[in-house]
Order: sequence, then structure tokens, then C-alpha cells
Amino acid sequence: MICGMPVGQTVDLRDISMQFPAVRALDGVSLSLSRGEVHGLIGENGAGKSTLMKILSGLQRPTSGEILIDGEPVHLHHPIDAQKLGIVMIHQELNLVDELSVADNIFLGREPGGRLWVNGRSMRRAASDLLASLDSPLPPRAKVRSLSIAQQQMVEIAKAVSQQARVLIMDEPTAVLTARETKALFALIERLKQTGVTIVYISHILPEVLHVCDRITVMRDGKIVTTLNDPRGEQVTERKLASLMVGREMSDFFPPRTTPSSEVVLSVKNLSVRGHASDISFDLHAGEILGFAGLIGAGRTEMAEAIAGLRKKSGGRIDVGSALADRLHSSVRQGGPYEEMHSPPVGRDSNPADSSPRNGGIAIPPYILRETKIRSPRDAVAAGIAYLSEDRKAAGLSLDLSIVHNTTLVSLPRFGTAWLSRRREELATRRYVRDLQIKAGRLRDPVRSLSGGNQQKVLLAKWLETSPRVLIIDEPTRGVDIGAKRQIYDQIAALTARGMACILISSELNEVLGLSHRVAVMRGGKIQAILDANEATEQTVMNYAAGVSAP
Amino acid sequence: MNTNIPVEIPARRRFDLRSFVETLGPLLALAALVFVTYKAEIYFKGEQNFLKPENLINILKQWSFVGIVAIGMTIVIISGGIDLSVGALVAMAGGFGIWLMNTAINAGKFISENDAAIKDYNDNVAMGLNLPLTLPWSGFRVGLAHFFQQLHMDGSNAWGVFFAFTATILLATLAGWLGGVLIAKGRLAPFIATLGGLAIYRSIALSLADGGEFRSAGGTAFSAIGTGGINLPHFELRPGVPLQLPWPVIIFVLIAIFAAYLLNKTRFGRYVYAIGSNERAAVYSAVRVDRIKIYVYTLMGALCGIAALLLGSRMNSIASSSTGNLYELDAIAAVVIGGTHLGGGRGTIRGTVVGVLILGVISNMLGILNVSPYLQGTVKGSIIIAAALLQQIGRKE
Repeated sequence: MICGMPVGQTVDLRDISMQFPAVRALDGVSLSLSRGEVHGLIGENGAGKSTLMKILSGLQRPTSGEILIDGEPVHLHHPIDAQKLGIVMIHQELNLVDELSVADNIFLGREPGGRLWVNGRSMRRAASDLLASLDSPLPPRAKVRSLSIAQQQMVEIAKAVSQQARVLIMDEPTAVLTARETKALFALIERLKQTGVTIVYISHILPEVLHVCDRITVMRDGKIVTTLNDPRGEQVTERKLASLMVGREMSDFFPPRTTPSSEVVLSVKNLSVRGHASDISFDLHAGEILGFAGLIGAGRTEMAEAIAGLRKKSGGRIDVGSALADRLHSSVRQGGPYEEMHSPPVGRDSNPADSSPRNGGIAIPPYILRETKIRSPRDAVAAGIAYLSEDRKAAGLSLDLSIVHNTTLVSLPRFGTAWLSRRREELATRRYVRDLQIKAGRLRDPVRSLSGGNQQKVLLAKWLETSPRVLIIDEPTRGVDIGAKRQIYDQIAALTARGMACILISSELNEVLGLSHRVAVMRGGKIQAILDANEATEQTVMNYAAGVSAP
Repeated sequence: MNTNIPVEIPARRRFDLRSFVETLGPLLALAALVFVTYKAEIYFKGEQNFLKPENLINILKQWSFVGIVAIGMTIVIISGGIDLSVGALVAMAGGFGIWLMNTAINAGKFISENDAAIKDYNDNVAMGLNLPLTLPWSGFRVGLAHFFQQLHMDGSNAWGVFFAFTATILLATLAGWLGGVLIAKGRLAPFIATLGGLAIYRSIALSLADGGEFRSAGGTAFSAIGTGGINLPHFELRPGVPLQLPWPVIIFVLIAIFAAYLLNKTRFGRYVYAIGSNERAAVYSAVRVDRIKIYVYTLMGALCGIAALLLGSRMNSIASSSTGNLYELDAIAAVVIGGTHLGGGRGTIRGTVVGVLILGVISNMLGILNVSPYLQGTVKGSIIIAAALLQQIGRKE
């Protein structure tokens, strides 16, 4: 074991190009990784980060270019080749066998013992030693199914370490972690670094990248924009990184807030969901963004699912407000005052100070609140409530279906019963493709073919097409690049400026703080506090979320 | 800075291997198969019968029954399910229809036979009960016979045929609905629920016919729809004998068109794709998943009923042990060959129609070339595996 910080190149990617049938994903990319560094890799979706890392981990072969390890050219035809050289990738979707134990997973395919029998005891001992050395004591016998996502990630890392990994590629490792778990992960990264492991850290969360990375490489359109060799020393800012990624200077990140109306659109009283949430009460006004902050497991998603008719309520009532005129036509909630939402978004002005035309200018007719029984998603849709699930792939989109068919799925009755109008469906979809700037090949392409950010936009389009009064949006920007993030923020702001109310659930605290008019903080299934935007700071929110007594 | 630059969607026409394999692949395979059969027949036999209209129509007629079932199976599979009970359901529903028709037509005979048996029993108690039919159906049948007699519907072919038609279709639809309820509301895996159905329906058919066959007493009135057809102009088998397009073929084509309309143009069809692609997302999208699933299996049942009716009418009988045997496999094979994804969410009716034609041409070719009929399974199996492999290749791109 070499003590101290060994220097010297370990991995050298030279002039890598990757040509897919339609796009050139990588164009002469050269990247060198030094031993024992944490190398950040950032860029918008589609910039080529994933392709580059797939090549490095042996999942794909480049069209041209070579990979050198310690100066020796290597050929990676299969992930196993890469693993033998100590290159391991931890994917966003973890690759563990749920039904097997922690130890089984760590040593899967490399179990100690003879040809027939696995030496369970020595395997478990090795696993617990390994986990202890990573300072993450997990019971080796525990089934992976029973672990939290953060713990499962630890198992993945332990597995990689047990394979003598020299280069560990982490793709969005903190996307599913809470703040505390993220801290633990960073500590672990620091320890791995000390033992000489090189870590490639791919993330969209720029403050974390700046915090954890020794060097940062920015990619755009299949090329490397720049490699920052000393981001900490150079005092690189988040904004600087963002502008490097997008290729233009980004002005203030969040759109300005508009003033909500005083009309209540949704009033939740003492809502409870057995085992997840209890005694939730709040009022939501037209044009308001109410943020929900809290740690994972605080009951935010369960509460939202109860409001959306996806979960059984164990108590409480929900009142939905609507204009009288709206109620008269409630059977055909077509058009109505929200149809105008489909006009292009207002967007952000070049001068952030000039936001007067929209401020306080919402013309909302008086609302009547009425108790509404929401027992199914259909009831919720009829009441004008739209819920965008946090789990885009599993519960949000039908990946095999086309962009058009996804967009119109909920509001299909608008397009006919016995003879759906393809023309009208495409027209509606085209409008969202334009407004939300969805980057797609053909409208009839399956949603699967889109990048994460564009998929999220299709999900948003699908629910906006129902003309909701209340948009509940759960983790709107998970796995979404900066450019798409901005467009989604802009769209939410533009819609609320026109009177739509929004419940924003997010684990990205700065997102909640940056967009919301008020922030509700949940812990243990209860609302701990509802803070106004001006009193909600990272510190106060985290105090309530973690249960530390407020200062 | 304006971030709202309208984005035009480029009309990019790029070669898409997957959609190519899924849409044109089966059609090309069919064309190749037709060509090979044509050449092989000339090479081995020196004469050419395969491409004669009467042979082609014969293929269509033989396979239209499986075809109708395969249409339903396509919808079931797109919805993410499977139905193994179709063959047994065809036998049960078709058999029950003929049984009911015969009961009505021969009501008098059954009553007198029963009376004779009871008299026999009363005369010779020591000899034991010797009813003409096994329990429990004998009592049921005699009861029905009395019922028909009361209503003066007995002995009439017209009423008999009417009962056969309605009973076959209603029973099959009801069975399909029941399966759908078990799958949607009972949360059973479609494989299990329909496997149970397979066993139950076949056993009911067997017991109702006592292992034999249901032979129609309905005469030509009953067999008209299965054997008749529309005369094709310009084609004559022999001078004065026109070539007919059989009713089963016409009905198969109409059902295929209707199903394609249903899948592509209606809300129901869209929901079927959505459920097959991602059931949870469909639930979240306010689709009434349970209801749609029940509709899908009910439709499957109804189509089995139509196939059973046509088959019974054409054969003038239903064999309780063999009619509809392995229909589920032929139907699933046609669906898979047609490019429909077994996992659900993707597939087309036109693919299935081509799949049925491919199966039909293959078995016809083997017959023409005097290949042992026992080897048909080998060929069919190879084709299914090849089709699935091709789909795999298409999916990798």
C-alpha cells in the first residue's frame, strides 16, 4: 500500500468519438483521470456524459479513439473486461438482487467457497469487515429489499470496493438521497479517495459537484467544453458551471414570483393516510406555489397521492374551489378559464425587476369551496387536480407509447370516444412541444426515446392538457438537466401567473425555496410548519424537517 | 433574452430497424414463404396447385377460426395479459350450443327416453338405475326438453338454430367476462386464471358429451353459415360451379377490421395499449384499468363464441376432446409472428392477420409436399422461435 497521495495518470481516454445512426454522441473527446481524485463530469442531458462513461465501463464500444490505463492501451468489449481492470460503474438504477442478502449481493458471482458450496460464514465475515471499513455498518444477512435506497447504494459501493475498483463511476448518486445520507456518502467518497480510488462523479446538482470534486469537466454537445483543474481554488460558482453547461450566461435561476390571489382553490382539513400522514391541513390559493419540504419518508408523496385519489384516506376532508361559471359546465371541463394557459408561456423578462404586468394582475372570479369526495384518480381529474408522480418511469409515463398518446392519455375524452381525432391530438401535442420546448424527433416516436428532461416535459404536458386548477408536482426535476429545469420552472411560474395553483414537492431544497410562495415542512407524516417565502431559509426548513427545535 | 423560441419538429425520416421488423418483417416473411412454396411444389411435383384460387381460399377457410381467436388474443396480449383458455372455451361454447339445439329439436325423444328409463327402473329395481345420460346433465336436459315442449319450441329447426347461436355466443362471452373479473378484480395472474379456465371448460365439454362429440341435429339450417359463402365473380371451379368466398373468411376479415378500428381509433383501444405498456402509469392517469381489462377478456370470450359457432356449423359437429385443441398456441403463435410484443403495449392487428396467413401457408405447404403431419409442430415451433429472435434483434437497436 502506498501511503500518502500517489500521483500519476491512471486512465486516459484519447480522442473518443461515438457515432450513432442519427447523432454523433461524442466527438473527439479526451479526458484523463488521475489516481485518487474525484472528477466531476457535468453537462446537460444528451451532452454525452453517459455515453462516455458507458464506453469507459465497457458497455459500449467507441467508433474511434482509444483508452489507455497506466499508459497501456486496453480494449473493453464487455463490462467484465472493465471490471477486471478495476473500472466499475454504479448506475442510477441500482443493480442489486432484492431477494438476496447484503453479503450475497456484494460477492455475487465471486462467492468464497468450493465449487458447489458457498462458505456463508466467511462470506458474511468478509462483508461485515468490508462494510465496517467503509464506516457503513449494515447487517450482512439483511435482505437488500429491506434496506433504504441509501443503504442499497452503500452495498453497491461495497461491492465495487470488494472488486478492487480503481475507478468508480457514480451516476447521479445523490438523486435519491436525503441531505443526511448525502453527507454520509461524501464522507465515504473522501475515504475511498484516500485509498487511491479515482471517482468519476456525474451529477446535475451543482453545489454538490463543487463541494465534492477536485476537478470538474464540463461537456456539451458531445464535446468537452473545459476541464476546471482547481475549481475550489478558482472560486468557481454554481452559476459559472451552469453557464458553461448551457453555453450562455444564465441570469437568475428562478423566475420571479407573482402575487397569488386570495381565492382558495383547495382546502385540505385534517387529512390522514394510515401509516404515512396525519392531520394535514392547509389552504391553497389560486396562483400560489406551495412548496413541501421534508426528508424522504416524511409522508409528502403519500399525502399528495391521497389528494389525487390514488391512496385511501383514513380521515379528513378536501374542499375544492371553483368559479360558479366553471361549475355549471363541470361535466365538460373543456376550455374554461384555463384554456388560455395553452398560449405560449410568459417566460422570464430580460430585466428581472420588470415583472409588474403579471404581478397582482390575475383576474380570478370569486370561488365557491365545496367538499369533494376524491376516491379515484378520475374523481381528482374531474375536480381539476393533476398529480405528476415522482416516479416518472414506473408511474408517470407509458414509455412504449408515443409522445402524442402520452400527452392525451388522461384527457382522451376530449378527443372523441368512438373515433379519436388524430389531427386534434397532434395539434394539442404540438402546442406543448412548442411551449415546453420538448426536443423530439417525431411526435409518433415512443417516449422511451426521449431524454429524462424531455420525458418530464411530456409528463407535464399530459397533465396540463387536463386543464388543472391544482397541479401537484412531485420531484419535478429529478434527473433533469439544467436547461430543461429552467423551462419547467418557467412553465410553472407562467401557469401560476394565470391562476393555476401548484403544490411543489421536492427534495431539492433550493428549488422549493426558489419557487414557492409558502413552504410547508413535513416530518413524520405531519406538517411541522408553514413558512412564508421570506422567513423560509435553508436553515429553518432543515431544522423543522430534521426535528431540531427551531432557533 | 427570450427563451421561448418556437421549436419546429424536424420531419426526420430515419431507418428504424425495430418498426421495420415489426411492420414489414412478417409481410416479407409471408411473401418469401409463398414464393418458396410455389417453387418447391413445381420442383418436387412438377405441377402447381398452391397458388390456385381454390387452394388459397381453402387455406383462409381453414385458418379463419384460429384467426378470429388470434384477433382477440392480440388485444389480450397488447393489454399485457394472455388467455390460455380459448381452445377449451371454443369446444365448450360450441358444444353447449349444439347440445341445446339438439335438446330443443329432439325434446320429445329425450322425454320419452327418460320416461322409459324411469319405467325400466321402477319395473326392475334390482337392476339399478340406468338413465340414458350421465348425471348431472341428464336431468338438466330432460328439464330443458320439458321447458321447450311447454313453449312449443320443440322439433323446430329454426328455434334450435336460434338457441345454438345465442347460447354459444352468450356462454363464451359470459366465460370471458368471468375470467376478466377474476383477473381484474381478483388480481389473479392472467396465466393462472385462464389455465384454470382451460381445465374447467374442457372438462365441462367432455362431460356434457360423455367424451364423444356433439353432432348437430339442425340440418342445413345450422350448417349454412359455416359452409356457405358469397360467389366470387369471374372464378369458376368447374364450368357452372362458382368459387365461393366462405362466410367464416368474410367474418374473420370483418372482425379484423373492427378490431383494428377498436385499437387505433377508440379510447378503449388507447387504454388497452396504455395498460399493457405501463399499468401503474395507466392507474395514475385515471384510466379505469379494471374495467378495461374486463372488457378485453369479455371481448376475447365473445370472439371465441363466434369462432365456436362457425366451426360447429362448418363441421356440423364439435368433438369434445379435440375441437379447439392447441388453439391457444396457434393464436399466440400468430400474434407473436405478427410482431406483437408478448410483454404488452405494442402490437397490431394487421401483424396478427399476416401471422395467421403464415401459419396457414406453412401447414398447407407441408401438406402439399407430403411432409408428415406430425412434423408440423416442429416447423411451427421453429417459426415462432425465429420470429421472437427477430424481434429481439429489432429491440436491441
